[in-house]
Amino acid sequence: MAPLDKKIKKFLKNSIRIAPKISDKGELAELRTGLVSQYPQTRKDAIKQTIKQMTLGKDVSTLFPDVLKNIATNDIEQKKLVYLYVMNYAETHPELCILVVNTFVTDAQDPNPLIRCMAIRTMSMIRVDKILEYIETPLRKTLQDDNPYVRKTAVICVAKLFQVNKILCIELGVLEDLSYSLSDENPMVIANAIASLNEIYSLDETAVKLPELISRHVDKFLNALNECTEWARITILTALSEYQAKDTMDANNIITRVKAHLQHVNPAVVLATIKVIIKNMNYMDAGQQTELIQKKISSALVSLMSTPPELQYVALKNIRIILEKYPEILTKELRIFYIKFNDPLYVKLEKVEILIRLVDPSNLKQCTLLLNELKEYSMEFEPEFVSRCILGLSQLGIKYSNEKFIQKVLDILIELVESGQNSINDGCCIAMCNLLRHCPTNASMSKSICSLLNSWSSPVTLLQQDSAKCNYIWLMGEYPQYFSTLGDKINEFVENFTGESTLTQTSLLITVVKLHNTLEGSVLQNVLELATHETSEVDVRDMAMIYWRCLSIDDSSALVSQLCNLHAPVIDSTIDKFTPEVLEKLLGQLGTISSIYFTPMDDSMRKKLQHQNIIKGKHLDELQDLAKNELENKTNDDILLDFDSESVNTAANQTQNNNLLGDLDDLFDFGTSSSTTNGNSSTGSAAEGISQLSLGNNNSDKTSGTADSNTQDLLNLF
Amino acid sequence: MGNYFSSMFDRLWGANKELRILILGLDGAGKTTILYRLQIGEVVTTKPTIGFNVETLSYKNLKLNVWDLGGQTSIRPYWRCYYADTAAVIFVVDSTDKDRMNTASQELHLMLQEEELQDAALLVFANKQDQPGALSASEVSKELNLVELKDRSWSIVASSAIKGEGITEGLDWLIDVIKDEQL
Repeated sequence: MAPLDKKIKKFLKNSIRIAPKISDKGELAELRTGLVSQYPQTRKDAIKQTIKQMTLGKDVSTLFPDVLKNIATNDIEQKKLVYLYVMNYAETHPELCILVVNTFVTDAQDPNPLIRCMAIRTMSMIRVDKILEYIETPLRKTLQDDNPYVRKTAVICVAKLFQVNKILCIELGVLEDLSYSLSDENPMVIANAIASLNEIYSLDETAVKLPELISRHVDKFLNALNECTEWARITILTALSEYQAKDTMDANNIITRVKAHLQHVNPAVVLATIKVIIKNMNYMDAGQQTELIQKKISSALVSLMSTPPELQYVALKNIRIILEKYPEILTKELRIFYIKFNDPLYVKLEKVEILIRLVDPSNLKQCTLLLNELKEYSMEFEPEFVSRCILGLSQLGIKYSNEKFIQKVLDILIELVESGQNSINDGCCIAMCNLLRHCPTNASMSKSICSLLNSWSSPVTLLQQDSAKCNYIWLMGEYPQYFSTLGDKINEFVENFTGESTLTQTSLLITVVKLHNTLEGSVLQNVLELATHETSEVDVRDMAMIYWRCLSIDDSSALVSQLCNLHAPVIDSTIDKFTPEVLEKLLGQLGTISSIYFTPMDDSMRKKLQHQNIIKGKHLDELQDLAKNELENKTNDDILLDFDSESVNTAANQTQNNNLLGDLDDLFDFGTSSSTTNGNSSTGSAAEGISQLSLGNNNSDKTSGTADSNTQDLLNLF
Repeated sequence: MGNYFSSMFDRLWGANKELRILILGLDGAGKTTILYRLQIGEVVTTKPTIGFNVETLSYKNLKLNVWDLGGQTSIRPYWRCYYADTAAVIFVVDSTDKDRMNTASQELHLMLQEEELQDAALLVFANKQDQPGALSASEVSKELNLVELKDRSWSIVASSAIKGEGITEGLDWLIDVIKDEQL
């Protein structure tokens, strides 16, 4: 009967609960009595209730000491709940936290690995100085634990500790232990150790010698790679991508070992693998082998295109970066980037970008196919997509660069304009001007374009975008003979001058100066006055000043005629490219958020992530110091910001107008002998600058492609 | 109803009710050693307790929930969090530490003034009797002014946690007193 007796006893023990007394003291008092009850089950119920209130958002922090009393228990469920509570409210009761320390230390030696793990995890999560003082023993013990699960948690805790208290972390010397963990036999521990070291390295580069550590453990990483979870793989692969191969053999070895992961189901693993391979491909000579690898990469990329649209988008962004480095890699796979009717808009836009880049300009069949595709797309209804396709048409035409082909493109564009939709006029105007910029000597083309655009009665209201208007005005300046109602159109633009944006204003200024012989005299005077007095744009004003000066000096006829006969340079491509430095950085960051924004992550961004400090558990004077430091840092940042933006502005101006600003001084005190040359170079470069500008606005990313160092500065800003 | 039934079952088996006992005293008096002497009957190497240790032990058919609170000056203010529902207090004194006898006495009397401890029995261990120069139980009693205590059942036992002397005797006395009071 003994076992039955025991059973009954156990059953009763579990079922006995004290019905909550209804008291008028309120919920907190009730919970408090529950928490200190003499019956274990009642206490557990009370803890559950407390956690429930906590998750509902009620402040139950006053129960802290009472909940704490229940932390020492063998019931793992209850322990977990109490830990949860402690984690949440430790910062509101920093002084009481000291009472938990002993339990943490004992639990970190518990025979149950789950409890050891939980103890060290929770302990490192509490951002209270007093607790961290005692973390040394448990942390060291768990780092050396027999159980890999505990070790992998402890390894992460080092990074947490570093974040909260850097000095203590260095003093304890756990960073060395962490480095040793890289040679652990368990792949999960290795992966977490890398992640942890990475975190520490990004907080403070002097704390750990990460690159050196990585290069010492490459073999270890490669071995671990096959046996761990997908996230661990990503971490390890990212670490491998930071490693500089010693020679071709080394690079070859790495590629062979990682390439199996190109077939992984997780796209992030695939991208990380590609990142490693591309990094090491640099060390290999072009040949059969590289071709083989490129083929592998290409099939991996193709498989990424069968993922859901969100992932496709990321993949497309990354493909765009890869294509820049290896343009021929996907040429045969053009078809999979064709747009499906149910693709979301963001995928469609990105696909057009890829298509334009991917198409092989030496392959007429492919180009024609794509042309027809784009033509179809431009009949769609989403305006954003349609205007991208129209631009794509012009980009394709310029890329293939054959008169017949361009004529075909033009026919499509004209057809589109004539179809009568107003929303596509902007895009068509820009696209046609781009085509003309590519082959300015083609008379029949310019004639047909101009006569079409001339038929628009009121381009000022018809065109919406700044860049479209700019292009239209440029066209009038370039081919005035084809515009029958030139004067009226220009007058209309001039009337609207103050309401326009910078591009249109500059373009109008240039065109009017160019055509000052054919236009009525008052128009020129009018524009120059408007540009010098009515606009807030410094660039427009300065340019107007220079023109005015040039026009008003005594024997200026030679200079002026030179000014008027300037043409924008022929463009070869309107597809934006990354600068080599940016591209190199982006290739190293494939599969990260930087690959989507096309802005490489760099150190100044890392610093922004560091502004996290423990506030709770500090005295008032410490807090004051903290605040003071913070303020000082902020002002420093501000100064830096100002400085940066200024330098960006000047740098940008310089590229826009090349050496316009530099020549400005010379211009104002020029002697007759040097006047012609000076004036020539400055205005010439100004016109060039403007054309660049208009291009820049056509494609929003263009700036990142054209302005080398500026982009760098700009990126630093964010 | 629930209350009624549960207390009835408890009377029958005496199983579920836990008695709270606090072990207090200055730092280094031997509280943790005494706790584990009671729990596992062995001497464990201890470190200063930052916070508390708690163990449940069955003794003479009673379930005891024994709390050993850290004795550091910084932790003493938090003893009060644990006073509620306490059946008995075990106060441990280091008999060799004559200099701090006064402090110990102060802490003890301060604690006993607490309302929540009015019904709690008091057992004082004059610990570390194995060490040379240790004061005897009566000397410690005099130093602590135990005679002054009124309306409270108290006792002082000379003990050595290392050797295991006096611990069970003291606890036996305590359990008898508690049983008398509770049942």
